[in-house]
Amino acid sequence: MTEARRVALFVTCLVDQVLPEVGVATVRLLRRAGFKVEFPVAQTCCGQPFHNSGHTSEAVRLAKRTVEILGDYPTVVLPSGSCAAMIRVEYPHLLEPWPDWHSRAQALAAKTFELSEFLVEQAGWMPVRAASAPAVTYHDSCHMCRMLQLGAEPRKLLAASGHRVNEMRESDRCCGFGGLFSLRMPEVSNAMTTEKVAQANETGAPILASADPGCIIQMRGLAPEDGLQIEHIATLLEAASR
Amino acid sequence: MSARDSIFKQLRGRAREQEMPPAWISRRDFGDPAGRFESALTAAKGEVVRAPSLAAALDALGELLRELNARTVVANAEPPLSGARLEQRWPELEWHIVGETAGDLRAFCARADVGLSGADAALAETGSIIVSSGPGRSRLATLLPPAHIALLSTSALTTDIFTWTAAREGGMPANVNIISGPSKSADIEVTLAIGVHGPGRFIVILYTD
Amino acid sequence: MTATFPQFRQQARIAIEDIRLQGALDTATGNLLGARIQALAELPDSEKLRDHLKSIRSSTLANLVRYLEIFERNAVAAGVHIHWASTGGDARKIVIDIAEQHGVTLATKSKSMTTEEIHLNDALAAVGAEAVETDLGEWIIQLAQEPPFHIIGPAIHKTREQVAELISEASGRSLAPDDIAMLTAEARRVLREKFLAAGMGISGGNIAVAETGSVVLVTNEGNGRLVTSAPPVHVAVIGIEKVVPTWDDAAAWLALLARSATGQPLSVYTSIISGPARNEDPDGPREVHVVFLDNGRSRQIGGEYEEVLQCIRCGACLNVCPVYREAGGHAYGSPYNGPIGSVITPLYSGLRKYEALPHACSLCQACKDICPVRIDLPRMLLALRETEVREGVIPWPERKVEEAAAVVLAHERLLRFVTWIFRRLQGVFLRDGRLQLPLWLDPTLGRRMPGLAQRSFRTMWQAGELESKE
Repeated sequence: MTEARRVALFVTCLVDQVLPEVGVATVRLLRRAGFKVEFPVAQTCCGQPFHNSGHTSEAVRLAKRTVEILGDYPTVVLPSGSCAAMIRVEYPHLLEPWPDWHSRAQALAAKTFELSEFLVEQAGWMPVRAASAPAVTYHDSCHMCRMLQLGAEPRKLLAASGHRVNEMRESDRCCGFGGLFSLRMPEVSNAMTTEKVAQANETGAPILASADPGCIIQMRGLAPEDGLQIEHIATLLEAASR
Repeated sequence: MSARDSIFKQLRGRAREQEMPPAWISRRDFGDPAGRFESALTAAKGEVVRAPSLAAALDALGELLRELNARTVVANAEPPLSGARLEQRWPELEWHIVGETAGDLRAFCARADVGLSGADAALAETGSIIVSSGPGRSRLATLLPPAHIALLSTSALTTDIFTWTAAREGGMPANVNIISGPSKSADIEVTLAIGVHGPGRFIVILYTD
Repeated sequence: MTATFPQFRQQARIAIEDIRLQGALDTATGNLLGARIQALAELPDSEKLRDHLKSIRSSTLANLVRYLEIFERNAVAAGVHIHWASTGGDARKIVIDIAEQHGVTLATKSKSMTTEEIHLNDALAAVGAEAVETDLGEWIIQLAQEPPFHIIGPAIHKTREQVAELISEASGRSLAPDDIAMLTAEARRVLREKFLAAGMGISGGNIAVAETGSVVLVTNEGNGRLVTSAPPVHVAVIGIEKVVPTWDDAAAWLALLARSATGQPLSVYTSIISGPARNEDPDGPREVHVVFLDNGRSRQIGGEYEEVLQCIRCGACLNVCPVYREAGGHAYGSPYNGPIGSVITPLYSGLRKYEALPHACSLCQACKDICPVRIDLPRMLLALRETEVREGVIPWPERKVEEAAAVVLAHERLLRFVTWIFRRLQGVFLRDGRLQLPLWLDPTLGRRMPGLAQRSFRTMWQAGELESKE
């Protein structure tokens, strides 16, 4: 297996501990696309929650740790727009005061990809169309669309695998997660999520897809139990492309 | 230390040299500026009457005054109105020509049906006219009456705000207004209401000069 | 006014539970968002224009004192009295002195955020000068004795029934709520009397153009013109950051302001005031005063929050903010609300008093995206959060929990151990994979949280369950 076909999976703390099936689906997809998947076991958390709550020294510590762990791999893939954005966009800023760490962070940023971005742009892989797949509506999570400018990629993959994509009125309106925001301001957070779920239901699609585990956990928390199904794109793509 | 001194001291201590960017050159180019003016102002709920000449414009003015049931009219003494002998043309109306007629200007404006003005310039892009204060030019005349009619020559049209500021030089009169429609508000339940404090009807007679 | 966490959450809850308010808020912000998109699309090169305006604002602030001096020189030459106020208290005193000098008992006001910032109306009332708001939305909230709900539309939260009641009381006539044209006509009638009787007109200033010492006022109703033309004295209270060097610079600001705020290419009236009426002018004020307000602004120059002074007060960030669109303007406890308010209110009025505001944000970045001058509000909100941690505004227990969590996450074996403990303890609370906490213990207020999965990804991987089949 050549170096070019090795990827390190940074599975993210939420997927690891709460939504492991997303990690499993991600591994299967990457293998289907012809890659050898490695899992650096020392990985834990990219540090984003600490960065977002103003605990900068904790964030720096975890950032350096992550840079250290992932540094030797040729490519890093994450099933999470927010964590990919943290590594790619925030790490270089966060580690700017330390020139050596800063350049290592920049090097890591250059080879870090969110899953759908990796499959479409790096691997040039498209799923085979499933015999039948339900319509989905896609949530443009904040990190995906505004920090990474990714929105076409997940849609392309979903459509190619047979899911018709019904657009929400405001697909890029924040779902209300925001990390610790969802615990500090639960009234507002819940109201935001309720609005998102309502808009998703309006589209008539039975499934709401997202590339962000945090958003999925949030939205599942307020969607009616027997109604809208909320799934990670990795889960949907893996199921459709078996 | 005065407030001025303390603010300036604070600012001087933090100042840095940073170049201003070169002026913005407008990329707009309207083949038909008069047409653009008309559609822009109409979209903003203003009204435009086209006239092929100043004479025709004055005829149109007469029709408008009739249509509006105007009885009292205040008019700025500025071109093209100043040469138009308004009181002689329509003697049945009660006139106040700014700077010429005796009496309380403000009180007249407050009860006038129509205010008349010219326009120093106009912006085609946004359907705006530019009126200024000065001798014979009242601010309240175009503000208090429920209708404001302006006579605008096509030669006064410039492309947009950028071409206007680029051509402008020297000082400013005490008051200049760029007027882009009738007075309005959407403050109550986001519902459009026309004619809040200023004129509810803003009509430009655009004549070719 | 303050905005502690409990206060913000309490006010937000009231707004969220008010179905009518939510509808009004969504409609108003949605309309403004749509109109903005259309208005900018109509410009041939709006993105470049945004960059251009940002560059103007940044360079102006870099050397603000130079442009303030030029403004002062040109304004004084045009007959303007210039005053300087380091604090809100200074500014109030200056305006009160002018009012007292002229024996003012009635002042009309056009919409001005700075005068709300310094609580001018109350101070004028205390010296016997009634200050009447004349912007329709501002008048409505003045009658209701409420703070403004939105930077551009202060009364968007009021229903027509509520407005009818307020205007009926003010005018002494009983008005039907369904005829908005009638309500507006009544407002026109009542306020017209005030406009013409006032001894002083008070305004803010959208832009202060140094080239000619001019104040630019952007309005739609005509009240801005009446306030600055009818009374014998006009006083404008303007933040020092509103200065631009030339008319070309002002043009860029004007080309983007109304488009970003309401979707109009220009507001109905762009009024340019350059001194009192000249001798030959038939009407206009005999005296014009400009009060430049600092109140915490100059301190930001050269610092990490300087960018916030570039704000052109368009309100677009409010319209797009998903938090504002649920919590509404009153939750912020400040005339400056929404994303921009969440940064400047703590900066100008104190971080402890407004501790909740940097956290009234899910960091979605929509505000930065939409800001005409691309102010990086998220970066500054994060910086304020960092300051809160550093200065102990965040309570000690919360900080300790986060520090402990970071320690656990920095050691993979410790993480495995701690999550193993959680998995054993959570069983008590788990029902169908969901954590069911009693409401008094539940920080999510009923939003269902998942428990930790039976087996983590790393456990499965390390147990060899995810070996490749090839």
